[in-house]
Amino acid sequence: MVKRIAKRTVAILLSAIILAGSTGCGHSTLSENKNGNQDRPVVVNLEGGDWGYPTPFSHYARGPGLYKMTLIFDSLLERGEEGYIPWLAEDWDISEDGLTYTFTLRENVKWQDGQPMTAEDVKFSFEYFAEYPPVFSDLTVDGKHFIQSVETVDEKTVKLKVEKPLAILLGKIGSTRIIPKHIWEKVEDPQKFNTPEAVIGTGPYVLKDYIKEQGAYQFEAFKDFWGPKQRVEILQFVPVSDSILAFDNGEIDLTRITTDILSKYQSNEEYKVLRNPAFWGYRLLFNMERRTEFKDKKIRQAFAHAIDKDELVEKIAREAAIPANAGYLPVGHIWHNAHAKNYGFDIERAKQLLDGEEFSFKLLTGNSNNEVRIAELLKISLAKAGITLSITSTDFKTRDAAVKRGDYEIVLNGHGGWGRDADILRTMYLTEKTSNRSPAVGGIPGYDNDRINVLCRQQLFEIDAAKRKEIIFELQELIAEEIPQIPLYNTTGYIVFRPAAFDGWKYMFDHHGVTHNKLSYLDVRQ
Amino acid sequence: MRKRMLAKISEYLMTLLVIITLNFFIPRLMPGDPFTFLSSDEGQVTVTYSEEQIAKYKAYYGLDKPILVQYTSYISNLLRGNIGYSIYYNDHVSTIIGKRIRWTISIVIAAIVISSLTGIVLGSLSAWNRNGVLDKGLYTLMMTLSEIPAFLIGIGFLFILAAKLGWFPLAGGMKSFANYSSFADRIMDILHHAFLPVLTLSVVRLGEFYLLARNSMISVLTKDYMRTARAKGLGKMRIIFRHGLKNAMLPIVTRVFLSLGALFGGAILVENVFHYPGVGRLMREAVMVRDYVLVQGIFLLVAITVLTMNLIADIIYRRLDPRVS
Repeated sequence: MVKRIAKRTVAILLSAIILAGSTGCGHSTLSENKNGNQDRPVVVNLEGGDWGYPTPFSHYARGPGLYKMTLIFDSLLERGEEGYIPWLAEDWDISEDGLTYTFTLRENVKWQDGQPMTAEDVKFSFEYFAEYPPVFSDLTVDGKHFIQSVETVDEKTVKLKVEKPLAILLGKIGSTRIIPKHIWEKVEDPQKFNTPEAVIGTGPYVLKDYIKEQGAYQFEAFKDFWGPKQRVEILQFVPVSDSILAFDNGEIDLTRITTDILSKYQSNEEYKVLRNPAFWGYRLLFNMERRTEFKDKKIRQAFAHAIDKDELVEKIAREAAIPANAGYLPVGHIWHNAHAKNYGFDIERAKQLLDGEEFSFKLLTGNSNNEVRIAELLKISLAKAGITLSITSTDFKTRDAAVKRGDYEIVLNGHGGWGRDADILRTMYLTEKTSNRSPAVGGIPGYDNDRINVLCRQQLFEIDAAKRKEIIFELQELIAEEIPQIPLYNTTGYIVFRPAAFDGWKYMFDHHGVTHNKLSYLDVRQ
Repeated sequence: MRKRMLAKISEYLMTLLVIITLNFFIPRLMPGDPFTFLSSDEGQVTVTYSEEQIAKYKAYYGLDKPILVQYTSYISNLLRGNIGYSIYYNDHVSTIIGKRIRWTISIVIAAIVISSLTGIVLGSLSAWNRNGVLDKGLYTLMMTLSEIPAFLIGIGFLFILAAKLGWFPLAGGMKSFANYSSFADRIMDILHHAFLPVLTLSVVRLGEFYLLARNSMISVLTKDYMRTARAKGLGKMRIIFRHGLKNAMLPIVTRVFLSLGALFGGAILVENVFHYPGVGRLMREAVMVRDYVLVQGIFLLVAITVLTMNLIADIIYRRLDPRVS
């Protein structure tokens, strides 16, 4: 009896699976709403993956969850192609002493639940974030909260007082998300606040569906959005196994491609290829506390001369990168100084600088393919100059923990953010003797240069942008000469899309991802 | 008898306690913590927390307390059925696992059923034709298949059956945001998405069941009662599948249950290739980002499944083979 039931179950299961397979041949998995057709809404599909529930507190720290959240939540300013542009704030004013920021808010802005947005919401948002920092917190400098007070002057004016007159605050205040007071004032544990109410913002898109386990998001244009008309009606992030197969199959409308298959798309009119700005990169960091030899500038310069950056770009990035600058800020950064020194690949010069001495160091790296390959090439090329590297490769968390503890001699690290405000130079090169160091940056262990320290502090307090730019330019020249760490290369990477489906893709002035840019989906002319 | 059962059960409980303790300490002994992100995948972004923020998070999740205090509160929560709130994924561990577990269970069970049945049939035929052309052909094929890594087989299917021929979807467990017209439609879509993962897993597992069935059958076929069956003039199929298989089943049944024990780990590679929403992929990510709470939750589940399946295998073995007492 049991046997018979078992047999039957198996038979049904098998036939069901076979049936499912064969009926599948009939209809393709192409999304039905293809664009280019005027009377149909524009639907854009992009590569999904679970990056968290898109509230300022719940999206994941790694990956593009942040940019899904910003589709729903607006900020006072937005990142345009050239710089910050007015967004929820129509206009703003910074007092001469640099201590008061006054924002004039746009009128008739509505929350996605129909309530009007007011100056009270703005005040509330800043105060709430001071108590409960969101995942991506912009309201601190070196870990310290910089806002002293927020007050509403009238219904459309908000005045913020800050602790110190710093040059970098406008961008930080301007990027802070504005959340609805009537919803969040009752929330005491924002990390666990994951109800539909938690994703109500003033932004251009409403979250219609989020399926965590599948990694799928569906956004729909918000009908009462105050701003530029949405060009994309429905924006979907769908699960993808191989993004290029999915792109070729029409399941997604944009993908990153490698250099090797570039020609297939470049030669076809159906596609358009873009090269990303070089705001993501690898760098080599010296621990001068561990190995005091690195305090000698000549040794660092010898390293710089003995590394063939062009070879790294050619062999590892397959030309989808540019050699990084000794002065740190990459080509394409709005304040990049093209006159700062760079070190050509020159083994003889490296040997001269080392004065015939030989060294051996330990290099710590992550375990991604590219990191390991970079490390191997560095080893071969440095060996020619008389520097022996022994390589240890670990998973990224182990490497990050070692960096935080200072438990390394040289470390290879890759991260984004190279296009951000030039204040990154300060967080990277300034040696502050405080406990408030952010672990990502925290200066270069054991390195201390008075002039660099002075310039780093000066630029932070220089409110005049032109004067500040001059300081940043001088700083880059100094850093390039001193070379306390070695930037290796900045990845550019290519993306391909079908212009017939959607062609609104734009870059932000300081970031490399078009799909991360909210303005890509809107009808904005700048 | 009852005494022995009790001893057995307490043995299993002890094992479970040891495993729970290891699950708690091993992730915490790994270098790194859940909040330090200094690097990102190429082209990706990451948020780097300040020291203040890290301290705040640590206090929030109770990770600033001494490790033994954390351990006792973990155990007491566990006894109350609370397996915790994920650090990285911002959701209850039970919800996160609950939403994914059905996907993994379905494909793994389907794959084990298919591969064990096919393996048994092919193995038995092979044994009957031992050293014949059929046996040699099957043997070579199965050995080759079991040597190819799972992800390679998966990628092969993905390229040919999904990308080139377009018979199956490329990724996921079901169509995203679809409006199904009926329940049957929905089931069809899920089966359609499950086909390639199940096929891959079945092919990967097939070799082991085939070899086991073949060996087991070969030794059974040399037994005296098989000669008797042949002498009685019984048909070939009847001898193999009725008289032979019954006696050859023992090791195979055990293996089926042991395979079920390895339910969650077994599907990682396949879930990765097809971007299938299962627990295997989640486990890998959780370890990668050091989400201690989620890692504990998943490993607890794995431990319970393995132990339960072992227990069942134990019991069934006794039932099937009267010689084991």
